[in-house]
Amino acid sequence: MTSLVYASGGVIVGIILAIAYYLTHESTYAFDRKFDFGYRFALQPIKGEFEDLDIDPNATLLTANREGMDELDEKEEGVPFPTIESLAGVAKFGTGSPQASTLSNAIPEETFKDHWKGMKRADRSTKFLLFGFATPEYKDPKMALAWSPDAAFDPNLTPFDLKLKLVQSPAGVKTDPIEIDLRKQKTGRIELPTFVARTDEDRQKGYVFELVATPTMSHNVAVLAGTMRSEWDGTLAYPRFGIVPLIVGTLILTIIAVLIATPFSIGAAVYLSEIAPNRVREWLKPLVELLASVPTVVLGYFGLMLLAPFLGNTLAAAVGLESGRALLTAAIMMAVLLFPTITSFAEDALQAVPQSMRDGGEALGLTAREKLKKIILPAAKGGIISAVILGIARAIGETMIVWILSGGTPFLPSFASPKDAVANLMKPMKGVPDAIAIEMGNVDFEGVHYGHLFLLGLVLFIITLAINTIGQRMAKKVAWRS
Amino acid sequence: MIHTNGSPTATETPVVIDVNGLSVYYSEKQALKGISAKIHDNKVTTLIGPSGCGKSTFLRTLNRMNDRIPGFRIEGDIKISGKNPYGKGTDLLALRRNVGMVFQKPNPFPMTIYENIALGPKMHYGIKGKQLDDAVEQALREAALWEEVKDDYKKKNGLNLSGGQQQRLCIARMLAVRPEIILMDEPCSALDPISTAKVEELIKQLAGDHTLLVVTHNLQQAERISDYTAFFMFGELVEHGHSATIFGEPSHQSTQDYVSGRFG
Repeated sequence: MTSLVYASGGVIVGIILAIAYYLTHESTYAFDRKFDFGYRFALQPIKGEFEDLDIDPNATLLTANREGMDELDEKEEGVPFPTIESLAGVAKFGTGSPQASTLSNAIPEETFKDHWKGMKRADRSTKFLLFGFATPEYKDPKMALAWSPDAAFDPNLTPFDLKLKLVQSPAGVKTDPIEIDLRKQKTGRIELPTFVARTDEDRQKGYVFELVATPTMSHNVAVLAGTMRSEWDGTLAYPRFGIVPLIVGTLILTIIAVLIATPFSIGAAVYLSEIAPNRVREWLKPLVELLASVPTVVLGYFGLMLLAPFLGNTLAAAVGLESGRALLTAAIMMAVLLFPTITSFAEDALQAVPQSMRDGGEALGLTAREKLKKIILPAAKGGIISAVILGIARAIGETMIVWILSGGTPFLPSFASPKDAVANLMKPMKGVPDAIAIEMGNVDFEGVHYGHLFLLGLVLFIITLAINTIGQRMAKKVAWRS
Repeated sequence: MIHTNGSPTATETPVVIDVNGLSVYYSEKQALKGISAKIHDNKVTTLIGPSGCGKSTFLRTLNRMNDRIPGFRIEGDIKISGKNPYGKGTDLLALRRNVGMVFQKPNPFPMTIYENIALGPKMHYGIKGKQLDDAVEQALREAALWEEVKDDYKKKNGLNLSGGQQQRLCIARMLAVRPEIILMDEPCSALDPISTAKVEELIKQLAGDHTLLVVTHNLQQAERISDYTAFFMFGELVEHGHSATIFGEPSHQSTQDYVSGRFG
C-alpha cells in the first residue's frame, strides 16, 4: 500500500517534470530567432514631394528580412541594377546594392536594385552597400537622398545600432562626412551635389553609402528583451513576440472574473452550508456541482449569443465601441464558469468547521449572523482562500471562453481618462492560453513562432504553479488547527 | 421509577434548576424518559452513567443547545432560576447569560485569546475599552490562565494554546459572561492528568458562587469534585443524591454495579 502511494506520487512528480522539460525544450526554438530590419532608400529631386518611399518605384530596399532565405538563391532573380538605357524617359535616378559588403568585392553584374538577405542573429553585424546616381536627364545641380523604414519595421524594436555612412563620393565632389543614426532619425533626406552617370560603368563611380548594423546586446538577451515588449504579432513581416499584453490580458481577465464570482460563490456557499434546510441542500449542492461540468465551449457559445449582443448594444455603445466581444464579456462568462467551482469548495470548507466551534458560539448566545461572521467564516478562511485560488488557477488556464468571447486582439489597458478606464472593459483582448490554441495550428513546426508559443506555455505553467504554491501556503497559514 | 435516595431536603441551599417529568425525543427515538430532579444552588452536581444514557442530552437540553437537531422535542417541565427556558417569549440571550457551558473538546474561536474572551461581555453587556480589558483579565485570572498568557494574550491566537490551556480559555470565555449556572460536558476527557487537575481545582473554586453541572465518565473525578451525583442509565435518572451516598451505599443494584466498576 505504501509503495503504491510512493509510486503514484512519483508518477505525478514525473509528469510535472516531464511537462516542464518539454515546454522548456520546445521553447528553445524561440532562441533561433533572427532579428531583421529593413530600410528603403531613394534618390529624389531636390524640389518635389517627399514621397512615401514604400511606393517610390526607384527606391531600394535594404533588408535583412526574408523568412527562409539565408542568402540570395541562385535561382531567384534579384531586381537588376537599372541601366541608364532602361531608365531613359522613365526615371531620373537609379539606386542599387551589391551582394558583397565591401566596395572592393563588388561586382557590377551582381549589383541589384534590391538587396535581400537572410535574417540575422542579434549578435552578428551586417553591412550593405548602396550605389546611387542620376541620369543625364536630371539637370538640377543638387539631388536628395531620402530614407524611411520598411513598412511594419519599427527601428525602436531592433537590437542593432543602425548607421548610414557615406563611404565614397564621386571624383571631384567635396562633401562633409555623413553618418546618420537611423534609430534616432528614422526618416529623413539629405541634399547632395548631383552626380550624373553617363555610361553604365559610371553607375558605380558615384555616391556609395554603407548601412551598418552593429549588435547592442547578446543574442539571448535580445530574444528575452523582445518577449518583454508590448506587442504580439507573429505574422508580421518583421514579427513581434512581446508576451506582456497577453499575460496582462489573462491576469486582468482572471482578476475581474474572480472579483465577480467570489461574492456570489461565498454567498451561495454560506446559504448552502449554514442556512438551507438539509433537504434543500441535498438537492442544490449536486446541482451546483453539475453546473461545473457544463463544457466551456457551451458557456462561450451562450455568451456569444446572449451576453455579447447585449453588452455590445449597451456598454460598448456607451463608450463608443462596436463589438460586444470584449474583456468584460469574457470575464462575466468566466465568472459563470468559476461560480460552481468556488461555491462547491467554499461550501466544503464551511462544512469542515467543527460542530464544537458552532456549539461554543451558540452557548455564548451569539446570533446566527454573529456566529457566521465571528466564528464560522474566520475558521473556514483557509479553505475559502483555497477555493478562490483554485478558481484563479482555473481561470488562468481557461481557453475556449476567451477564444470565443474576447475578440482576439492583444490589449494593454489605458487609464488616460476615466472614460478610457471604463472603455478598457469593452476592448477586445487576447489571453495566453487562447493565443496558444489559436496560433499553434498555423505556425511552422519547430519554428520561431512555434518556440514563442511554447515559451508562453512555460510562462503560464510557472504562473499557475506559483499561484497554487503561494495559495497553499496562505491557506495553511490561516487555517485553524484542532 | 424515580428514587431520590438521600435527596437534598429543604434545609439545604435553594433549588435553582427544577426539572419535572422531562422527556426528550429525537424524531421517534426517546432519549430521556421522565426525568425529575432538583439541582441546588452553589453546589457541584456530577452526572454519571454509561455512554448513550442521556446525561449529555439532559445537560444540553437545559440551555437549549439541542434546538437545531432535526426532530428534537421535549415533554415535561423545566424551571431554571424560576423561568421555563422553553416557554413562550424566552429571551435566549438572557438564558445564555445565566447558563454558561463548557464542552468536551476545547473549542476556542479562531481569534486571539483577548478577542475570544471579549466577545461575550461585549455582546451581553456592551462594555468596551478599559472596562472590557479588566473583564478579560479578571476572567483569565479566574480561569487560572492569566499567568501563562499575560504577555501575549492580545496577540496570540487561541488555537495556538495547548489542549489544557485551550480548555481553561473556554472556561474563561464562559466566565466572562458572568453566568450563575455552569454546564460542563466531560470537560476533562480530552486533557492530560495535569491539565485535568487544574480544571478540577477550578471547578472547586467556582462552586463557591456558581451552580455547576458536570458530566463525567471518570468516577474518581466525580467523587473528588462533587457535592451531588446523578446516575443515568438508558435515558432514566436511576439515582440522585449526595455523592457520599451514591459512591458509598447506593440504594440501587445498577448504581452499585456501575460505581464499583462492574460495568460501564
